[in-house]
Amino acid sequence: MTEIIVVTSGKGGVGKTTTSASVACGLARRGKRVAVIDFDIGLRNLDLIMGCERRVVYDFVNVIQGDCTLKQALIRDKRLETLHVLAASQTRDKDALTAEGVRRVLDELIADGFDYIVCDSPAGIEKGAHLAMYYADRAVVVVNPEVSSVRDSDRILGLLASKTQRAEQGNGGVKEHLLLTRYNPRRVASGEMMSVDDVKEILGLDVIGVVPESPDVLAASNSGVPVILNDESDASLAYDDAVARLLGENLPLRFLEEPKRGFFARMFGG
Amino acid sequence: MMTKPVEAAAAPAPAIDVRFGQVGLIQVRIRSTDPGAILDELTGRVASAPLFFQRTGVCLDLTVLGREPQVEEMRPVMDAVRRAGMLPVGLVGESAAMESLSAALELPVLAPFRGQAQAAVPVVQPAERAESGLPALMQHQPVRSGQRVYARSRDLVVTATVGAGAEAIADGCVHVYGSLRGRAVAGARGDTGARVFCQEFRAELVSVAGVFRVFETLPPELAGKPVQAWLDGDDLRFAPLGG
Repeated sequence: MTEIIVVTSGKGGVGKTTTSASVACGLARRGKRVAVIDFDIGLRNLDLIMGCERRVVYDFVNVIQGDCTLKQALIRDKRLETLHVLAASQTRDKDALTAEGVRRVLDELIADGFDYIVCDSPAGIEKGAHLAMYYADRAVVVVNPEVSSVRDSDRILGLLASKTQRAEQGNGGVKEHLLLTRYNPRRVASGEMMSVDDVKEILGLDVIGVVPESPDVLAASNSGVPVILNDESDASLAYDDAVARLLGENLPLRFLEEPKRGFFARMFGG
Repeated sequence: MMTKPVEAAAAPAPAIDVRFGQVGLIQVRIRSTDPGAILDELTGRVASAPLFFQRTGVCLDLTVLGREPQVEEMRPVMDAVRRAGMLPVGLVGESAAMESLSAALELPVLAPFRGQAQAAVPVVQPAERAESGLPALMQHQPVRSGQRVYARSRDLVVTATVGAGAEAIADGCVHVYGSLRGRAVAGARGDTGARVFCQEFRAELVSVAGVFRVFETLPPELAGKPVQAWLDGDDLRFAPLGG
């Protein structure tokens, strides 16, 4: 049984691609067969975050237009053998995606026995974002603790509840999860940043993970190693918890308090 | 009250121009009306040079078929050609049935090219050399990620950088007097003599006449150096330029 997970947000720059890469890696690290697809046609980034940008020959649009087979376009990750990347096209625009073409690619991945398909949505609410969420079973809505991101996420949640296949067919709708990123406990404590509870209250959803703001995220992006694979980073541990919760585990949230030196070293050091 | 469009106020420019002009057109000679065989062969052709063949207008030449095909016979043929990615824009044929075919298929009958009509050569002329006499296409601005510059029937000269995720494509040679970080495709229509030259080699992909190589890691002897790439038989070769 394949589950299609869309990672979306509405707003740009909140960490969708970072989250897609880390969630895909986290699932694959637990032995699941995972395909992660970049829906941001014309502005592809997932390949960079995954560190496979030099291995892209064919892309998602090539598969949809029949220039190549899906097998030719899937890039197998070098670190995790059950993880595959389908890159976006950089030279086309988003009109190259069609609902029927996306459906065909997803069906082929399902027939191939993938456990999870992670769809990395572009920012915005236009065609690419719409198609990324349309066939989803679950949605991870990435939100930063600030008002504009929260409002955009609210808008996206509205679309998930109306403009998706599950919503249209009325079979339970898309299962929604919130993931907070760039969370800075010190700034929350000083009142500059919204707290987890604020965001939960406004959006009325439970939180599947809180990823603390960390310089490791930028370093990970620049080196092409998804941050979840950096075992020494709080961001990595937070993503790993989120993946565990996606799979049904019940874990308490952590990294909600400002780290105290010594205590942290004892708990998570090494 | 609506204001008039700007054009209406100025001197009336004609909405259209009718001109006589010549355009090159690929001829697909139909020797058999078996749609399966046509689709198979054309798909192979299109795959060998997708940039050139994909969505290219083609003319279906029925003169070598040696008989008059029926309309019902031609519809699957047209479908096969379209499914292979080409767009039929006209028919060539001499028989009396052409008029009814033309009307039924809604395609014009074009004058046959007598010089080539009888030659028993492959369906499409491969390896069209870039000997059109056209001067090279000059690109003085950087080719940015996601951009694609194509020099049809000639060389391409880029005096700036070809960025990662950008594509510099020519039917002839590709010259990059800057850093080549993206893709360079020479001989896009099959010219095996075309080459790729660059000042600073950091390419993601280099292709000559459909033979390509992906650079997941850059070989240290080529990285950052002036490099040329050429086809030696079926092998794509690379070497630093100069001493």
